[in-house]
Amino acid sequence: METELKDKIVSIEKPAIEAPPEWKPMIMGILCNWCSYAGSDLTGTSRIQYPPDIRIIRVPCSSRVDPWFIIKSLQAHADGVLISGCHPGDCHYISGNYYARRRFLVTKKLLNFVGLHEDRVQFSWVSAAEGAKFAQVVAKVSEDIRKMGPLHLYKKENTR
Amino acid sequence: MNLTTYITEPAGLQSFYEAIVATNETYAPVEKLGKFDYKQIKTPPECQPDSPIEQTMSIKPLFFPKSARVMKYEATAEGTDVTDTTEDPLAGKRVILGVKHCDARGLQVLDEVYKWDYIDTDYQKRRENTIIISARCEQAATHCFCTSLDYDVEQSDAMDVAVINGLDGKVYIQARTEKGEHFLKENASGLAATNGSALEEMKKQYQAFSGSFRLKMDYKEINGKMQSRFESPAFEEVATNCVSCNTCAFVCPTCHCFKITDERIRDEGVRYKSYDSCNNIYFTLMAGGHNPRPAKYRRWRQRAMHKFVYYKERFGVNLCVGCGKCTISCPVNISIFEVVNQVSNV
Amino acid sequence: MDYTMQIQDTAARLFSEEKIDLFIGYRSTGFDNNQVPVLIHHYQDVEQLVFTDKSVFNLTNYLKYEYTRNKRVGLVVKGCDSRSLNLMLTENQVKRENLFIIGIACEGVMNEQGEKAQNCVECVMPDAVIYDELLGAPTGQREYQVNADINELAEQPLIERGTHFEEIFENCIRCNACRHSCPLCYCNKCCIDQETSTLYQGSNTTSGAFHALMTWSLHLAGRCVDCRNCEKACPSHLPLHLLHKQNEQVIYENFQEHLAGMIKDDRGAFYKYSMSDPDDFIM
Repeated sequence: METELKDKIVSIEKPAIEAPPEWKPMIMGILCNWCSYAGSDLTGTSRIQYPPDIRIIRVPCSSRVDPWFIIKSLQAHADGVLISGCHPGDCHYISGNYYARRRFLVTKKLLNFVGLHEDRVQFSWVSAAEGAKFAQVVAKVSEDIRKMGPLHLYKKENTR
Repeated sequence: MNLTTYITEPAGLQSFYEAIVATNETYAPVEKLGKFDYKQIKTPPECQPDSPIEQTMSIKPLFFPKSARVMKYEATAEGTDVTDTTEDPLAGKRVILGVKHCDARGLQVLDEVYKWDYIDTDYQKRRENTIIISARCEQAATHCFCTSLDYDVEQSDAMDVAVINGLDGKVYIQARTEKGEHFLKENASGLAATNGSALEEMKKQYQAFSGSFRLKMDYKEINGKMQSRFESPAFEEVATNCVSCNTCAFVCPTCHCFKITDERIRDEGVRYKSYDSCNNIYFTLMAGGHNPRPAKYRRWRQRAMHKFVYYKERFGVNLCVGCGKCTISCPVNISIFEVVNQVSNV
Repeated sequence: MDYTMQIQDTAARLFSEEKIDLFIGYRSTGFDNNQVPVLIHHYQDVEQLVFTDKSVFNLTNYLKYEYTRNKRVGLVVKGCDSRSLNLMLTENQVKRENLFIIGIACEGVMNEQGEKAQNCVECVMPDAVIYDELLGAPTGQREYQVNADINELAEQPLIERGTHFEEIFENCIRCNACRHSCPLCYCNKCCIDQETSTLYQGSNTTSGAFHALMTWSLHLAGRCVDCRNCEKACPSHLPLHLLHKQNEQVIYENFQEHLAGMIKDDRGAFYKYSMSDPDDFIM
């Protein structure tokens, strides 16, 4: 299996590869502690269903997210990344998400520039009261990624 | 051992190359982003065996890859499952075309360390399975000084087959080792063997080549003087410009330091053996925080002394082959030639 | 553009007045019309100094080393170099009172092929923005131009772009010359080199190069001044400016035409924000 894939998969976003039928996307979710993480909690306690494809990491603030985290997530077998924080103006640390917003735009554009589909890395503002919105967001990201199939980020062994 | 020399026209050389490419796994310098790198080729026109020395990477990566997999491991319910990575894409029989004399010599120098103490079987396997066909340079580049070092560029047996473009427009293909002799018997069937007169022409070509060197030094004098220069303040002076990147070591045909790194994702991991350099500040950093070579000049001292003293003491050869690649690739053009000369003449 | 005499005179004056301990300039290597940086400690060595349109290296890179940090340094800066110096001052890497800056109103430097370098053609600020002494006639700030290579690549389909960049990452040998010759990469230990981190990836593979180059360029986004020291240092001739120029363009277009290092005390695009920053890409 691995050797087969190795020959075929050369660069990112090569459409020729078909996903195996049992494949499920893995989405790295990086959520801010004060809004989005509480929002996802609310989704659970309200018993709203959403696709089980997301793995959540809690960070103090969306501004804590270094672009490095996004790059490493994509390399570590994640098919997509969702980063979520407080709505602008609601940041627990006053202005953290304003700074984060700038970084996210640049990161997203650069990843797209080097050949990654723009829907692979997505961002959202979800407040602690928006349990339903969180479910919608995850559903959308999951659907986007299912459409694109698995991500194989430079898996070809380079022994030269 | 009787080694044959064949004579042909440039067109004959081309068909000789074509025959090799058709039947063998062949590597040759291919231009990528303005730089020539040894890559696998399928047809001869893709490559330039006479690529300029200055812009060519060495053939070291074909024997000592820039990143090789050492092993794979996986955490299972029963425990950890460790596998050797036996799949080596470079272990098959292959031919390298257009190798520079300095590069080929670099491998000879590397052999010493690879067969000493620990025998690196991967390296040995790659060496055994490879036929090296050199192309002698017609002119020295700005930073070359291969003729000033402790090997005979003219009669070197570091390559299996030497291709020499004579000044008379003819091409001389000469076997230099027994392996090369066998290879030529099989592959140079269409070419005419020649006698003593060819040696004259080859000598003429060599004289024209060796006369074009800008840099000349006496390696014996340098070797002798460098031994007593460990405390020389000149190292501090030559090292000030250095930006401590690893470029010189990575492009060098003889540098062979490496680091071991693990890349683990969830339950699986791969252990890699990748290039490292003594010019890297963390190269000698030990657990506990002690670093014996924190200053730039100490690292440069290690580099120069290793090239011209330590390796010579241990194995009897210099670790520098005078290709000048480090100087060209260096962001601030520090020349190992100038460094050793400056240090030994203080 | 030849300020050799003026720079030699100024350096000699500074040494004789004992205003500096060290002068950083360029010297000619004597062949191929090449110039390399030189660090001069003595009055009698100032004759080595030259400055022509081959003086390409960004000398502010040398201000990050221990042996220059607490010394009184005189140095030559072109437009782009002065912007990186401005950032280093803002980020407290050097002390202004320790520096004597010879600014150049630059007319552009040559690349290896003898043409005007691309970053000089597209330069926004050829004059030094910070100096004690200015040489040449200032021409003022120019209009921002979108990089030609970026334009060309942006029009290509995603997969072709991906293939193009894969080739770039594959040819990277991870020697870190780009990072070490960048004046703004002054960290004592780069995050990419922290082998105890779980994010660490030390291998020399395509994936490793992607990891290192992308992280590096994103950490320089909003601070890169387009001096192209990295690209000139790269032994594999990788077009590293593509990554930096792409970031610069996004930042310029979206964040109030921000350009790094133009004004003193401006820390870079990621150290400030505006309520009106684009929000349409966020759900």
